[in-house]
Amino acid sequence: MLKVITCFKWVIDEADVKVDANSRRLILDRVGYKISLYDRNAIEEAALLQERHGAGVVAVTVAPPTAKQCLKDALSRGPDKACFVNDPSLVELEPAQTAAVLAAAIKGQGDFDLILCGEGSSDLYTQQVGPALAEKLNIPCVTYVNKLTYDEGEKRIIAERKLDDCVEVISVPLPALVTVLPDINTPRIPTLKQVLGAGKKPVDNITLDALGLAFEPCLQTTGILGATMERRRLKFGAEAEDIRAAVGALLKEGVIA
Amino acid sequence: MHFQLTEEQQLVRANVREFCQKYVEPIADAVDQEPRFPSENVKRLAEQDWLGIPYPQEYGGAGADYLTYIITIEELSRACATTGFIVEVNTSLACFPLYKFGTEEQKKKYLVPLCKGEMLGSFALTEPGAGTDVAAGLSTAVLDGNEYVLNGTKMFISNSPVAGVFIVFASTDKSKGPKGLSAFIVPAGTPGIKAGEHQNKMGIRGALTAEVVLNNCRIPKENLLGQEGQGFKIAMMTLDGGRIGIAAQALGIAQAALDESIRYSKERVQFGKPIASLQPIQWMIADMATDVEASRFLTYYAAWCYDQGLPYAKEAAMAKLKASETAAHHTNRAIQVHGGIGYIKGQKVERLFRDAKITEIYEGTSEVMRMVIAGSVLR
Repeated sequence: MLKVITCFKWVIDEADVKVDANSRRLILDRVGYKISLYDRNAIEEAALLQERHGAGVVAVTVAPPTAKQCLKDALSRGPDKACFVNDPSLVELEPAQTAAVLAAAIKGQGDFDLILCGEGSSDLYTQQVGPALAEKLNIPCVTYVNKLTYDEGEKRIIAERKLDDCVEVISVPLPALVTVLPDINTPRIPTLKQVLGAGKKPVDNITLDALGLAFEPCLQTTGILGATMERRRLKFGAEAEDIRAAVGALLKEGVIA
Repeated sequence: MHFQLTEEQQLVRANVREFCQKYVEPIADAVDQEPRFPSENVKRLAEQDWLGIPYPQEYGGAGADYLTYIITIEELSRACATTGFIVEVNTSLACFPLYKFGTEEQKKKYLVPLCKGEMLGSFALTEPGAGTDVAAGLSTAVLDGNEYVLNGTKMFISNSPVAGVFIVFASTDKSKGPKGLSAFIVPAGTPGIKAGEHQNKMGIRGALTAEVVLNNCRIPKENLLGQEGQGFKIAMMTLDGGRIGIAAQALGIAQAALDESIRYSKERVQFGKPIASLQPIQWMIADMATDVEASRFLTYYAAWCYDQGLPYAKEAAMAKLKASETAAHHTNRAIQVHGGIGYIKGQKVERLFRDAKITEIYEGTSEVMRMVIAGSVLR
């Protein structure tokens, strides 16, 4: 049986973030959380492999214990089991740290064939965790994938990578890691029975102690302010002097130098 | 005491919101203005297991609690009151009496396909001369051998033009007044039952509402729901639960009015600043937010009582009274926040204003709600 691991991150729902009008400070005291958007595509792709090839799917996340709700959310989307690496210290992790914890946890899950990750997270979008994890596990990594086919006979995957100026088609033996783009699929909205069934699926609660790891967050947020856009309400025509006025206005605002 | 929704309830809310953004909001305006029945979404609602939420899985339902159902109606109605109502009629008015009073065989035959959304159900109680005064109905049911023969005219029957089965109320003994009322299961297509033309309503215009005529409609004896003479009780119990559903619909409408008012007042600039910075607007929005929250707590509390097996008739009446009057009043205020543009077709607040009104009328008017509440607290 094809064994798929899908990694996801529990992030702040950006729709709930408010910005204080005067200080531009972000107001986060009433925010909700969600599965990072592209990670939902990764989970959906795993669920499709489950339907088409009978794959066994494990969803893995690294988070503080307060993120427990993410498990039912992930499990309602198809995975058979969740692996919840949790510790109060697992906040504001640097991507290399996340990859190290994921690698230790995944090694503990036994053999696997394919790891699916989102291309990048909705909050930091560093695009580093997937490739770093592949490196830690010493397996090939395919990024920017917008189409994935599993060749059961050859036990390999055919991946289409969407690059700037072309589509690259790659055949990779398993085990391998793939990071997916949002247009690879449309994540389904879980049915009510799937939501209710999620709580009955098994969860491996893994502590950092069990992995023999300890972490000090090394990312520190020293400041974060909302971007503001202020319209100057200037109008310019198409005459030569208007264009000079437009350039003058851009110079004055420091947009061009 | 705690005010936290369960993880499942929170997930369902998020899922319904996503569903609404994707499928419901984009057609809500057309559903209202053309008007048309959103059949493509009804099919999707069935796929999501949202047409029989609080009923056991063995009867085709999702097996969730009542509060989950109420949150679903709230969120659907926040996007489109028509869509919320279609689900409410099927779940509260058609499924409930079958689930509570149906025989095992009746449940298998009718409740299962209703919960699965293979067909929709309709509740035929109101008549031209019998609105709030249910017992004044003129419809009759006469036992003739192994069949009941039904005659009469039903009015304002929701979902009726698309229904697969009707719960019909008719008198089996006029001399007994309300105690002579009985309930019957009438499959659509039975000779002698016919839904008329869709009535052109002020609001919830995509929900199909029509007259239903029973003309020597013969149904097998086993289609009696409950016992003869139990009809009034079945109707009242069904409406008690339905009121929590309508409270949720009204709550969704009121929340949408608040959402729209907040959004617009931040965008609209007058006197050089967003109108949200002006005190008259702030006060309207503060009152709106407070009443919406009060309606939500009353509605969720009524649903919680239902889930706990506690009495809920008074709580349901309070929830419906508060939420429907909040919806009617604050959709009006929301138009005021918008000014002239709020009076124009195609603006969501204009639709909300028309959709809100019916929640003060159907499944028991505000006046009936006050009677129920007074009757309970003065007992």
